[in-house]
Amino acid sequence: MGDDYPTLFRSEEMSLMQFLIPTEVAHDTVAELGELGNVQFKDLNPTVNPFQRSFVGEIRRTDEMARRVRFFESQIQKEKDVVPIRPLYDSAPLVTVGPSAAHNIDGLDVTLAGHETRLGQMNDSYKTLSERTRELVEARHVLRETAVFFEKAETQQTDIRTSFDDSSAPLLQHDDREQQYLSSVQFDLEFVAGTIDRTRISTFERVLWRVLRGNLYMNHTDITEPFVDPATGTETRKNVFIIFAHGDALLAKIRKVAESMGATLYPIDANADKRSDSLREVTARLEDLETVLYNTGLNRRSELLRIGENLARWQDVVRKEKAIYETMNLFNYDVRRKTLVAEGWVPTRDFAMIHMALRHATEESGTSVVPILQELHTSKTPPTFTRTNKFSEGFQTIMDAYGIATYQEVNPGLFAIVTFPFLFAVMFGDIGHGLIIFFAALYMIFQEKKWARQELNEIVGQFFYGRYIILLMGMFSVYTGLMYNDIFSKSLHIWHSGWDFPEPASNGASYAVSNGHMYPFGVDPAWHGADNGLMFTNSYKMKMSIVLGVIHMTFALCLQLPNHIKFKRPLDIYANFIPQMIFLQSIFGYLVVCILYKWSIDWSTRDTEPPSLLNMLIAMILSPGKVDATAQLYRGQGFIQVVLLLLAVVCVPWMLCMKPYFQWKEMQMIQGQGYVGLGHRNGGPRESTDEVLENEEEGNGRAIVEEMEEEHEQHDFSEVVIHQIIHTIEFCLGCISHTASYLRLWALSLAHAQLSEVLWSMTIEKFLGLSGIFGTIALVMVVVFWFSATVFILCLMEGLSAFLHALRLHWVEANSKHYQGEGYLFMPLSFAKLDEKE
Amino acid sequence: MASIIPVVFILVVVLGLMTCGYLFVPKGPHQTTIRAAIMLTLASCYLMWMITYMAQLHPLITPYHSSKGGESI
Repeated sequence: MGDDYPTLFRSEEMSLMQFLIPTEVAHDTVAELGELGNVQFKDLNPTVNPFQRSFVGEIRRTDEMARRVRFFESQIQKEKDVVPIRPLYDSAPLVTVGPSAAHNIDGLDVTLAGHETRLGQMNDSYKTLSERTRELVEARHVLRETAVFFEKAETQQTDIRTSFDDSSAPLLQHDDREQQYLSSVQFDLEFVAGTIDRTRISTFERVLWRVLRGNLYMNHTDITEPFVDPATGTETRKNVFIIFAHGDALLAKIRKVAESMGATLYPIDANADKRSDSLREVTARLEDLETVLYNTGLNRRSELLRIGENLARWQDVVRKEKAIYETMNLFNYDVRRKTLVAEGWVPTRDFAMIHMALRHATEESGTSVVPILQELHTSKTPPTFTRTNKFSEGFQTIMDAYGIATYQEVNPGLFAIVTFPFLFAVMFGDIGHGLIIFFAALYMIFQEKKWARQELNEIVGQFFYGRYIILLMGMFSVYTGLMYNDIFSKSLHIWHSGWDFPEPASNGASYAVSNGHMYPFGVDPAWHGADNGLMFTNSYKMKMSIVLGVIHMTFALCLQLPNHIKFKRPLDIYANFIPQMIFLQSIFGYLVVCILYKWSIDWSTRDTEPPSLLNMLIAMILSPGKVDATAQLYRGQGFIQVVLLLLAVVCVPWMLCMKPYFQWKEMQMIQGQGYVGLGHRNGGPRESTDEVLENEEEGNGRAIVEEMEEEHEQHDFSEVVIHQIIHTIEFCLGCISHTASYLRLWALSLAHAQLSEVLWSMTIEKFLGLSGIFGTIALVMVVVFWFSATVFILCLMEGLSAFLHALRLHWVEANSKHYQGEGYLFMPLSFAKLDEKE
Repeated sequence: MASIIPVVFILVVVLGLMTCGYLFVPKGPHQTTIRAAIMLTLASCYLMWMITYMAQLHPLITPYHSSKGGESI
């Protein structure tokens, strides 16, 4: 340890650094550090209102730019024909650091404002023109339909007039009169025409009838095409109506009623020629409007295309600028030296990298004053930073979800890389299913580069994030499938089986005979399909779960040791670790040894019956020392069991009392020496480096903000005792319940195997015997159904279930043996992580 | 009859492989991870094999079929 290389075993060593940055270089320095992504800045102005901070103006400006960029994005998304947005890695870069930075940002501001105004104007005019178009279309409909009414009314009127005539008049006379009437078609009825919503037409009619007491003639037709509202996209259907009535008063009433019902009235001329003139005019205006609308649409689209070229770049720049100014708000302005003072957590290993980044930033900006970097001495707990790569990231995340590791304690994520997929596989063991998820993970890994750039669906994204976990899960599942000898619920016969089945007896029963072979790798295939196959498998898997569980818990318990050694807590080794280990091993370690021992004895050569281990364990606790000679596992069992039980019993007061006693003695010693009230932490302060001491002489060694820490342990003695009582009870009861909890390894693997077998026997097995063309087709269809059920039910559903249970085993059973998990995550200013957050 | 010797033999082999894994992984940023992964994989795979093997060494029951035939799959 203490090597040049970072490890996953513990989180990185962090130091608190103080940056003294001249104001001119501040923006570029923060930009450079943001690209690096290695510094977590502390807020040096915690009491300042966000509106009173120094860089509020700049943040407001970037917010305005961000709003404009969001507006563009929403406009582009609303377009029906897709406007391509050039992706970020393809966009032209915009320089935001260096001497031209301010100029570029101002230019960007102006560009964005210009685009916004133009786009806004075009949107407004488009809307107005659409409204106009709609009105004109309605008017055209009214003109057309009323023409029909008038023609109908004409014919009716002539019919009405001619019916009063003498039918015996000669034809010529009739013609004269008809001509007369036709040439001067005069209506002495006046009318009101317009459009109204289809839903309102019946109400309209009724109201009019009541108001005018029936003194009206109304006709209406549907307009077949619906009108689409451009803003909302809703369709409304309208009807054209025309109302004939006599007299100004009535017409005025009609107009009022129409307006109140939301109808639109149109002035229609009685004269047919004038009507056709207006129709022509309306049509001409409509055509003009259509042309203008079309052109506006084209302009808008070309504007959006231009925006789409740069949109990704603008989003990136605006986001970064906002992050930079928000970070700069955290700094403290030192008026004496006209510099900004910043404090931040940095991994100690990266000190040189940060230094180079600072120098690079000053070179870019063209000034010659380099920011000063110095390490501070502090007793605050640093954040926890575990350096992961794309492989270990997934495992670390699932373990971090339980709790972030305390600074520099042993990281369970390292071991979860193997134990998690292994425990999953114990619950999932099937070669076929394991291969399916293995290949799925392999596919995702091959598509890594492409998928990382896309924005994935939320669920697919989750699976993609855990692709390496799934890969390992698949690999281990193939191995455990080989052990359980299970491939899609069938078993493999790779080696010579250890059992021979003789000819079945008269009742069809057939008992296997051992033939001396031992199936070397996995469960003998003879058990598959045997009637008591489940009996054997259950016993085997249950015992395996207990053995694996106790070993996993022992391993987790041993992880306490490096923590106690690192944080210099020798008392914890003697007062916590040793009694816990003795307690666990004397009962459950003994059980594991008994299981293995019982398996290794050839019971046919023994004259005692093989004892039930469960009863043996219960008897060990309830009636210690009394072991029935016919049910004993080995000689001297009674005595040994009593010794073990006494050991376990002794551990309980050991755990309860030793640590509080020693801590009490320490407190007495401190108080005896006259110090009052100062608690001290177990970690102890770090030694000051030479640099810090040197700087202390110059008066700038202290951290600027050192809040009163509430991290001192309460050295109230009662708190210590209570804490230890809880800890002891939790451990002892936990041992028993967690050991039983590992039986889920058996339960889930049993469920998985049974589901798989049921699926096979209910689908494919029933269709295997069919012959002929229909039989083959049916078989193919059933195979498709079987495969999709395998993937969705057995792999996905069971897989998720086994994932969850394996995770629970890690979080509760294993972590409770060693994990403190009281740290906080290292969250550096990182531009790369900014777009993950969005 | 099968004996317990393969268990011990394979245990020795696995311990040897674990030691090799510990000693021969080159120094680098991933040394701890690779070491832990190799050793844990060897240990857990051996454990599972050992348990499966020992459960079948001296079985207390024999498989039987009660109905005719049965799948010998």
